[in-house]
Amino acid sequence: MLNNLKDKNMKQLSFAVLVGATMLLSAFTTIQSIDWKINDGYSIKFKGTDAEGIFKTMTGDISFNENDLSSSKFSVSVDVASINTGNGMKNKHAKSDKWFDATKYPSIIFNSSKFSKSADGYQVEGTLEMHGVKKQISIPFTFSSNTFKGNFTVNRMDFGVGTMEGMSKKVSNEIALEISVPVTKK
Amino acid sequence: MKKIFIHGIVAGILASTASLIYFNLYQTTLGTSFDKVINTGSIVGSSIFGCVLISIGYLLLFKFNKENFKGILNVIITVLSFASIIGAISMSLPLDIESPELFPGLAVPMHFFPALAFFAIEPFFRQQKAITKTAE
Repeated sequence: MLNNLKDKNMKQLSFAVLVGATMLLSAFTTIQSIDWKINDGYSIKFKGTDAEGIFKTMTGDISFNENDLSSSKFSVSVDVASINTGNGMKNKHAKSDKWFDATKYPSIIFNSSKFSKSADGYQVEGTLEMHGVKKQISIPFTFSSNTFKGNFTVNRMDFGVGTMEGMSKKVSNEIALEISVPVTKK
Repeated sequence: MKKIFIHGIVAGILASTASLIYFNLYQTTLGTSFDKVINTGSIVGSSIFGCVLISIGYLLLFKFNKENFKGILNVIITVLSFASIIGAISMSLPLDIESPELFPGLAVPMHFFPALAFFAIEPFFRQQKAITKTAE
């Protein structure tokens, strides 16, 4: 009977230690950002009146945690020279100093500054640098099945891309962008 | 009338052959692939169609007894062939095709092959007609 009592006390003590240890460890647990690797198969499509195509090359660092948006960070760079409109002459024209001036401004860069949740998904604010001009923009996006998807518009005139004279007038100011980036955890 | 159509079809076959040789040579040499945009069927079809169209032009000349305007018709055919290259130059290819800037180099010369083939063999058909006339 004495042995039974000892066993019971031991069990109670072990349980108390286990609960205590769990509580102690959980107190030091912090939610960390998750780093993601950009997979092949990403797409950056743009579409406006008389201007449609893709950028084929993108690099960057993506840290994103749905449960800790404050630690999330997007830092991506798009290679301007990788533009493809499906027409060789248009590609050359787009890269020229009349439009993107790819020699002088070889990259389109986006650096995030703040993430927030929205009704449809998430919203990221940050600086978009294009054609040597930096602007604060906000991009709505979703994240599901390890794929980031975002749709937004950019006013090309805000960045001094092209003009509104001559044939350039045919291209609309507002250019719609459709981005899809599949990722895997690093 | 039959002879003019045979002229057109033979020219179409020649233009198709020349285009297919050029098509394969161009793609192999430059390591490109425009198979999604043009292929054997479309090359043969458009070459024969182009040459038959020229035949119809010639046929109309003969029908309305305006053979003296053959020179003008030839100029019109050449100008139309030249104008048709605008389509090849301004065409937007599917975005997954690499090096679209190489496409005009492939397509533009082929636009001249039907007229070239038709004009190249035209003396053979004309000669036969001349012999017939002499015989008469």
